[in-house]
Amino acid sequence: MGNLNLTTSAIIGFTENLEDSSSVFYERLAERFVESKDIFQTFATACKKTKILVTRTYQETISDVLETGFSFEGLDLGNYAVEIDLSEDTTYTDALEIAIALEEKSHRFYLNAAKLSQSLLATIPRAFIKAGEGRIKRKLELQSLLDNTNLVH
Amino acid sequence: MPILEEPIKETLHLRNYIDGEWVDSKGEPNDVTNPATGKLIARVPVSTEDEFEKAVNAAKGAFYDWRRTPPLARARCFFRLKELLEENFEELSRIQTMEHGKTIDESRGETRRGIEMVEVATGIPSLMMGYNLEDIASGIDEYLIRQPLGVFGIIAPFNFPFMVPLWFAPYAIAAGNCVIIKPSPHVPLSQTKIAELVDESGFPPGVWNVVHGGEAIASCMMENRDIKGICFVGSTPVGKEIYRKCGETGKRVIAQCGAKNFLLVMPDADLEKTIAACMTSFYGNAGQRCLSGANLVIVGEGLNKQEFDAFYEKVVNAFIASASKIKVGYGLDDSVQMGPVQNKQRKERILGFIQKGIDEGAKLRLDGRNVRLVEDLPDTCFLNPTVFTDVTPDMTIAREEIFGPVANIIRTESFDDAVEMIHSNPYGNASCIFTGSGKWAREFQYRVECGNIGINIGIAAPMAFFPFSGMKDSFFGTLHGQGQEAIRFFTESKVVIQRWF
Repeated sequence: MGNLNLTTSAIIGFTENLEDSSSVFYERLAERFVESKDIFQTFATACKKTKILVTRTYQETISDVLETGFSFEGLDLGNYAVEIDLSEDTTYTDALEIAIALEEKSHRFYLNAAKLSQSLLATIPRAFIKAGEGRIKRKLELQSLLDNTNLVH
Repeated sequence: MPILEEPIKETLHLRNYIDGEWVDSKGEPNDVTNPATGKLIARVPVSTEDEFEKAVNAAKGAFYDWRRTPPLARARCFFRLKELLEENFEELSRIQTMEHGKTIDESRGETRRGIEMVEVATGIPSLMMGYNLEDIASGIDEYLIRQPLGVFGIIAPFNFPFMVPLWFAPYAIAAGNCVIIKPSPHVPLSQTKIAELVDESGFPPGVWNVVHGGEAIASCMMENRDIKGICFVGSTPVGKEIYRKCGETGKRVIAQCGAKNFLLVMPDADLEKTIAACMTSFYGNAGQRCLSGANLVIVGEGLNKQEFDAFYEKVVNAFIASASKIKVGYGLDDSVQMGPVQNKQRKERILGFIQKGIDEGAKLRLDGRNVRLVEDLPDTCFLNPTVFTDVTPDMTIAREEIFGPVANIIRTESFDDAVEMIHSNPYGNASCIFTGSGKWAREFQYRVECGNIGINIGIAAPMAFFPFSGMKDSFFGTLHGQGQEAIRFFTESKVVIQRWF
């Protein structure tokens, strides 16, 4: 079990890393699997935008957060760590499955972060919810790609 | 948790920013040390009187054109500055943590609050407007215009190296004045970094100046006849002296000084939220803020003895349980909730107060002298949260400003006694009440003689568009910093009565 009494900075740092590594992951998928290059590049760009959204929201509201003495209690970041390494022999199907797992876990993280920050200014949970919605949409698109692949094979 | 990357990699040699140029000082340099790591991060000069005079002359010289610059054009400089502050948000915040010790969340909060001052100052075309009335007599109209005065001096404290000078400088400059900022020699890096961004923002040379130094430069500011006013944030004895001296030389003064803030907990308070707010209030910024909670007064209004005993113990236990969980360490570590105090002398002073508390009979329930850090660091400037109970209002720790992470818990039977306790203290900066009752909240707001009142708020910090108030020994002056009051402070109200034949 990880640290269960987290500063806002720790959560935002985790989010920034999550979006950075997701973005890099999708850029690599775009390079390797040209059949879905455009989709993966769109995902990579979306991750970058989410990072900007969450960071900006944090920077604009951190003083309010501090004054309420808020901390993210009970959010175990260890539950949301995702292995997104691509090896040489990772197939397109494997990559899609890894991506779906990434989106699922990230979605759960954002939902929990939104839930735990309900007492703060509405902009904060709203940013987490928006980030989570983006993840679930991507998951559906990835699932559709995977289904099509399975049909072909 | 990993430590965030430090933006300062090698020892910086700071220079003054005078007349739009970075100028080496002939004064002796002093060391600036990161209080968490003990590492030397900069050398800051103790500038000479001549160097200060040059800054005054530059500011005086710039004033003529700057006051004739249309307010909207002046505002545009601030819009550019705001953008640059946003772009450099993270670096600015990490610098604060490195020079002061506060946690990265606290530094980012401070950066935000500073930027908000700049944002409000961009409204200068509206903020500075006068007013008029036709026909005040037969065929005669009267109107008021606000005019800038010239050069203002800003003497900054160590506890908010980024934000506090921005309580004043943006308003002064937006109104058409020029400023000389003397940062605290303990934390001179933030203002140096801001000046770099000011330089990029297109302010004309001489409008915004930074001169490093200590008491001698502050004295020069007070003596200099070309300085029209002084803004000071710091201790009460120094603030009183500045107020007196500026009176002699006819300067305007905003002197925001010491504090001893009382937080009342009424029996109907939401305890969970109250304790969370108290943690920020007492231990945020390691207790080094003029709005920090100092005395937690548990009030037994309407309770019998047995009920009051139970309520008192409940609050005390919850407070101690929360305080003991606060993680202390280097502020660039994301997991840390309280950083060190700013320097070794500060720590020694706080230790002296803790000893005094013990000697005078208060019960030390949580001993912050037992330093426990989340990582291996020199404990030179670190303390953990301290809690005293059984404190009485006459004890030194209950009367004097400790400016550190020490909470004194006081017990009192009635609301009236609690208000009397607040009034018996010479300070009047902030007081807060935690209650579910509108009646007690209103009584508190109405009766308590403090400039900043918190109702279910632990840190009663006014936003940029409200004045940062203060009363009694916590404030010397008439108008306060921030918002409309700052605009009035930095301008002369000229009245024109007009008739045409």
